[in-house]
Amino acid sequence: MRRLNDHPNEAQLALFAGGDLGFWDRWRMRRHVARCSRCQGEVTALRNASEQVREALPDLPKDLNWNRLAEEMTGNIRVGLAAGEAIARFDRPVARVRPVRMGLNVALVLACATVVFVTAFWTSLPREQAQHLSSALQKIFTGQTGRHPAISQDDVMLEASSSAIEVKENGRTMMLTHPRSDGVTVSVNMQGSAGVRYVDDDTGQVTTNKVYYAEQ
Amino acid sequence: MRSSRFAALALLPVLSAAVLPKIDLPKDSPVTVVSADFGDSNEMARGGAMLLDLHAALSLRNSSARRIRGITLLVMAQEATPGGKGSVTVTSLDIGPQETFPVRVDLRLLRPLQASGAAPVEIGLDGILFDDLSFYGPDKLSSRRTLTVSEFEARRDRKYFKSLLAEGGQQKLQQAILESLAHQADRPAFDVQVVRGGRATNFEPEKQVQFAFLKLPDSPIEPTDGMARISGNEARAPRLEVKNRSDRAIRYLEVGWILQDRGGREFLAGSVPAELQLGPGQKSQILENSTLKFPQRGGQPLAIEGMTGFVSSVEYADGSVWIPSRADLGTPQLARVASPSDEEQRLVQIYRKRGLQGLIAELNKF
Repeated sequence: MRRLNDHPNEAQLALFAGGDLGFWDRWRMRRHVARCSRCQGEVTALRNASEQVREALPDLPKDLNWNRLAEEMTGNIRVGLAAGEAIARFDRPVARVRPVRMGLNVALVLACATVVFVTAFWTSLPREQAQHLSSALQKIFTGQTGRHPAISQDDVMLEASSSAIEVKENGRTMMLTHPRSDGVTVSVNMQGSAGVRYVDDDTGQVTTNKVYYAEQ
Repeated sequence: MRSSRFAALALLPVLSAAVLPKIDLPKDSPVTVVSADFGDSNEMARGGAMLLDLHAALSLRNSSARRIRGITLLVMAQEATPGGKGSVTVTSLDIGPQETFPVRVDLRLLRPLQASGAAPVEIGLDGILFDDLSFYGPDKLSSRRTLTVSEFEARRDRKYFKSLLAEGGQQKLQQAILESLAHQADRPAFDVQVVRGGRATNFEPEKQVQFAFLKLPDSPIEPTDGMARISGNEARAPRLEVKNRSDRAIRYLEVGWILQDRGGREFLAGSVPAELQLGPGQKSQILENSTLKFPQRGGQPLAIEGMTGFVSSVEYADGSVWIPSRADLGTPQLARVASPSDEEQRLVQIYRKRGLQGLIAELNKF
């Protein structure tokens, strides 16, 4: 609940005077104004001003654009603020500007020193480390590994291990497995096959499982 | 509704008839399917895909009049890997007419949920090699060559062990088998990936490394020059120059590729094959654009430092083959890294299971 000496602000009083408050706010405001002489005076003054404006309305231009008027006023305020800031800055001490030529000389000296340092560093590196560093830098700049493109998901791959062999293609897999056995021999062929040979413990037979690329 | 019903079906641990493999042998095939057991097979949903775990134990009968030395079955899963395929080859066989023998196919397949009605896996015949070196089959995977090389190696090694027995007695044979056992145990195990085209996945700079070559005196092919690009644990784009020093035309050769790492370890990484038409005295260049990568398996990462090549097999224009002799395989570097032949591995296994007398009985069979 609003206390008596807790007065509403001017905007609320103006809205009350003009009859623009909502039901609940209007009811509360009416109770306060009825008991507060100071706010009563404010409301009376606002209503009088409103009456004067209504009386002066016929003197205003008929096609007055209120929105445009509001924008113009906002623009004028901004111009005023900017001008005030400029005047305030006028008396501040200004940082001393170094001559441009001096800056260029310093940059040139630094660049030369960097070139000398990098050349000395590179030539003093062992060959293997230099190649390693070069490869790593190349990878960073190109997003690739080595000098040829990295494998894509679409490539076919054959895998052979002592437990199984498999062909992978587009995320699909076919795997040939074999029972656990001693003396498993893994072999691959560069034309596109991978195989595992084992001796079956039960039958004593030598079996070779292989997977192939498509061309074979 | 449909997807939930599908998911419920997928949870069934047994294999439904729709996903059983289709076994398709030609009508005039020298082998027939006696039975097919898919006992432990199952299919289940894994995320957005179906995982088919297929364990097929096939029993095949030799319905021809000749003895079978080797067989290759073609395994295709078009839905899972449209381009890729697999094969199961059984070598060092001695299957007489009307005898049956088992072939086991263990396969794991990750295939899309929206599968067609067709069988996800098809098993067919790629080729059979008989004891007279005749061949039957469509040979889509060059099984004729593979099986023939294996049979030549088997004959070489049986002859070698028989000669040891004849000349040095049981003790000499046993000593050779124990050496082979020790060699098989000492061979470094490694995993390898093969990627089509160029690839580099590490920070190591790439460098060109020259091949060193092992001279095998009887080899009809002489490698004269070669290099490959090496980067950390990757080796790619081998380029070899070879010369036919025999008086016969050659249509296929394979060069074994031994890699050395910075720690001085050596291992047989793979082979560089080439199909060519090379007349007597002619030279040719072999180029491959694949990449081998050796993933780290605990301990020190592999860093490839050097390479050695040797001619591991040659096929003449008439279909006969050349393979290194036992003496060639005995050279120190090759002895360290070369894998034993299929037959040697089988004989060693017989020694482990049945002892020396069992091995001698096996050698005396044929």
